[in-house]
Amino acid sequence: MSLSRVTRIHVWFRMLLLQGSWNFERLQGLGFLYALLPALKKIYRREELLKVGKEHLSYFNTHPYLAPAVAAAVLKLEEQRAAKEELPVAISDFKEMVAAPYAAIGDALFWGGLRPLAAGIALFFAAKGILWAPVVFLLLYNAVPIWFRVAGFVRGYRLGVQSVEFLQRHRLPDWAIHTKEAAIVVLGGFSAFLVFQQLQQQALPSWLGLFTLLPMIMLGLIARKGVSTLMLTLLTAIIIVLAGLFWADLTSWVAL
Amino acid sequence: MIAVDLLFGALVSLLCGLDRTALLQVMISRPLVAAPLVAWLLGEPLVGLQVGVMVELLWLARLPVGAAIPPDDTQVSIAGTVLAISLGKALHADSLELLLLCLLVAIPLGKVGQFFDHAARQYNVRLLNRAETALANGNLFAVEFQHLRGILSFSLAAIGTYSFIVVSGLLLIPLCWSLVQHPLEHSSSWLQLALPLVGVAVILGTINVSRALTLFCATFGTAFLLMWLV
Repeated sequence: MSLSRVTRIHVWFRMLLLQGSWNFERLQGLGFLYALLPALKKIYRREELLKVGKEHLSYFNTHPYLAPAVAAAVLKLEEQRAAKEELPVAISDFKEMVAAPYAAIGDALFWGGLRPLAAGIALFFAAKGILWAPVVFLLLYNAVPIWFRVAGFVRGYRLGVQSVEFLQRHRLPDWAIHTKEAAIVVLGGFSAFLVFQQLQQQALPSWLGLFTLLPMIMLGLIARKGVSTLMLTLLTAIIIVLAGLFWADLTSWVAL
Repeated sequence: MIAVDLLFGALVSLLCGLDRTALLQVMISRPLVAAPLVAWLLGEPLVGLQVGVMVELLWLARLPVGAAIPPDDTQVSIAGTVLAISLGKALHADSLELLLLCLLVAIPLGKVGQFFDHAARQYNVRLLNRAETALANGNLFAVEFQHLRGILSFSLAAIGTYSFIVVSGLLLIPLCWSLVQHPLEHSSSWLQLALPLVGVAVILGTINVSRALTLFCATFGTAFLLMWLV
């Protein structure tokens, strides 16, 4: 039997709540079962349903944007299992096989690349005082994840286990590197813009701005050593406040 | 009306706090969105935009990978904005200095968000155990209910973090405002510049790209020279 479109849409919407009960023992396990239940209820009778439900309550963790692709492929496999067809791979093995690689790809692409890129672009608007900056960020960022959530689910259900090839074809790890590089380029431009704007406002010579690179690289290297952002922020704030006081005293002495 | 401001802040804190982990993940939890949203509700959207620019990049490099819990920049930005707007009215000090003080108080307090978030995820283990029992008893409705209760624990974590930062800020900031107002006057614009640059530096230091430094320096230099010469 094939699941109706309404049931599939129901499951897709439930995937938006996948991490609602995220916990340290099985991570997204309960959420995954919660999302699949409307479909499992249609596929299985009561006794079988409880047995299958127990299987899906196991450990599960993947990237939330790529989870719909896994869920849809699992539903396809469940249909085949219910129809007593031979499965290309055991359902629990399939989940284990794809969850970790999908999580790694999703983390690198969406959190590590796309998010700083969209934020960097939107920050230009925000720094100029344009109130639409948050909307720009949301539109720029969400276009790709929504596509993956929808297309991944549709292809996952249509292709089953072979939906993995659909994601492989898009060479997502390469895209993750490209978006990270683009994010660095945008953030470089944004930093230069902020520094230039500040020097203009303070009526200071513009060439001084090039020296900003030095403390930024130093802070970056310190962060790489594992010093927390909080520590770096507070230290920088203290140094700037003390320097400001010293400068104010110096200028008042010179005036005297 | 500080109480009304705080209430609006709590509503946004709940909505955006859930977006961090439990629901949707459409990024309304990012400071660049959350801070202007609450500031717009309180009638001063530009304050939120300023907070968004300063906080957005700080912890952007901390990814919510696996069981890792990054500091709660959502509640830092919301609480910082609410404090700046409501205390600005109360202290008659609608200035960048007060905004910076509110943020400098809120930023370290954001660490408490990790504690609340950790507690919520720990509590959800109990819900998982209850769901397992319910499943064994054949009660599927209870299984679904336990999952939805997890969302409630994330809601409490968000509200708990927001309340902690706001209450601490309301107690601390009026006390130290007169002491730090003058020192901040000399450095406020530089601090406003430094916060996003620290965030960029941390991203630069932690991003996993082989030519990150070269790309950054080349772009910074080119953009800067273009703005200078054109």
